[in-house]
Amino acid sequence: MSRILPLLRGVYGIWLREILRATRDRGQMIGGVSRPLVWLLIMGVGLNPYFRGEVFGEVRYVVPYTYLQFLFPAVIVLNIMYTSIQFAVSVIWDREFGFLREVLVSPMPRPLILLGKVLGGSTAATLHGAIVLILARFADVTLTPDQVVMALGAMFALSFGLTCFGVLLASRIRSFEGFGVFSNTIILPLYFTSSSIFPLDPALSRTQMAATYPEWLVFMVQINPITYAVDLLRGILINFNQFPPAYGPAVIAAMAIGFFLLALVDFGRSK
Amino acid sequence: MTWSRWRAGLVNIAAVSLLLVAVSFLPPDTSLRDVQRSGVLKVCVPPTFPPLVTGNATDPGFDVELVQHIADSLGLRLALNPLAAMGSDFNPRNWLLTRAQCDMIAGGLADTLQNRGFLQMLPTGVETGWVVVSRGGTLPAAGATVAVLPATSGFARVALSSWLRGRGWQVQRAANPAALLESVADDQASIGITERFLISTGDAAERGLSVAWLTEEGFARNQMALGLWKGDQTLWRAVNGVVDAMKADGSLEALRHRYGLSGGLDDAPEP
Repeated sequence: MSRILPLLRGVYGIWLREILRATRDRGQMIGGVSRPLVWLLIMGVGLNPYFRGEVFGEVRYVVPYTYLQFLFPAVIVLNIMYTSIQFAVSVIWDREFGFLREVLVSPMPRPLILLGKVLGGSTAATLHGAIVLILARFADVTLTPDQVVMALGAMFALSFGLTCFGVLLASRIRSFEGFGVFSNTIILPLYFTSSSIFPLDPALSRTQMAATYPEWLVFMVQINPITYAVDLLRGILINFNQFPPAYGPAVIAAMAIGFFLLALVDFGRSK
Repeated sequence: MTWSRWRAGLVNIAAVSLLLVAVSFLPPDTSLRDVQRSGVLKVCVPPTFPPLVTGNATDPGFDVELVQHIADSLGLRLALNPLAAMGSDFNPRNWLLTRAQCDMIAGGLADTLQNRGFLQMLPTGVETGWVVVSRGGTLPAAGATVAVLPATSGFARVALSSWLRGRGWQVQRAANPAALLESVADDQASIGITERFLISTGDAAERGLSVAWLTEEGFARNQMALGLWKGDQTLWRAVNGVVDAMKADGSLEALRHRYGLSGGLDDAPEP
């Protein structure tokens, strides 16, 4: 026990440093609030008339929810993606300014150093996802305490996987400038091909779906792991799944474990 | 010391949260404003669908009285638009209901997944579903003839069709409620299957027939509902507020009771 406590204190210290840095960083907080405003308030309301019913029975937008309700869980995932993946900036920063080297030469085992950093990044990303829940009233999404708890759990698991992914990216990118470009080329395509802003109607057969969307787009949506994260949150928040409900937790768990192990290998090689 | 460490971060979180709370009170569309400007709430109903729409001036029907109360509460004049096409065809597209004709649809809509694909539903607490009309109150064995009068829009017809085939029954389609009752009363069919309110005006009891819920798995009972166009969030909120108030003060239950809609039916027992 006397050996474990100092290690846990070390993990806590690293976690706390990441949380304080993330919450004190006004730029990051503004980003966390501007994304939901842009995507839900402006885009959701802007496109809402095009997804409204005009003729009863007309097949135009067949998801049993409004466009704002459909978009709401996806915006949470977008906020988590940006915060988690951009967490890599903190890793690059620490590496550039020597903090990481100081920590790496400490008696703390490297897996625990990584765990502390990833938990810090995940908590910050979950916070950014959670603040979107404040807009539930605007989107007419009714939330029960159970739903909020389950959503926070799913958000944290997703944040953990994506933060590990961010660490993996950081170990391959040497500059802040390069990371900015690189992160956008990853986040936005993943977001747009996750059925976040357009539905793949679960009632349609594969042939019917391919008639609505090109087959390559359907394929990209189906192989995108973020699709299943969005689907999981839709299942929790608006009780709507486009894919079998077990896929979401399975994909997120695989992401969290797989990326953590890969990040561990990369982090172990850090000098 | 702990407070000073967290202060900057907490101030940032509080600031973005307050901003999002303020934003969540913005109206997401103009539907309520448009109706208030015109001063009229247009509601499409079928000519008759007792006891929801009776066509009788003294007791106009549960749904008609409900929408009248909603219009009065919102300070609007109710304009009922009876449309013969409503309920006449199983495909709601053929009812030709458009925004130009009505702001709301009442009188015969069930809160089903199918209807929620086209409209935002506001359940009224009146229960409906598939019912079994029979002489002995039991389901017959395979090979028997079954009269079926398909319900109007919103029910899972494909599921019913599959279930009927699975039972090995001969299906005889009834043209109207009277024909269905006659088939069962004259022993041309062992049982009849239809929707609760389609059979409500028939003389089942006088013919010695019982009416009971179809309780098979996959045939969940639904509530009847008012339908608003998908995307008319602000109007939906206003109408929902009135219905919630009626639930709270007991006037909705009193209205249900007056039209004999408080009680349910018995379940149809297995053979």
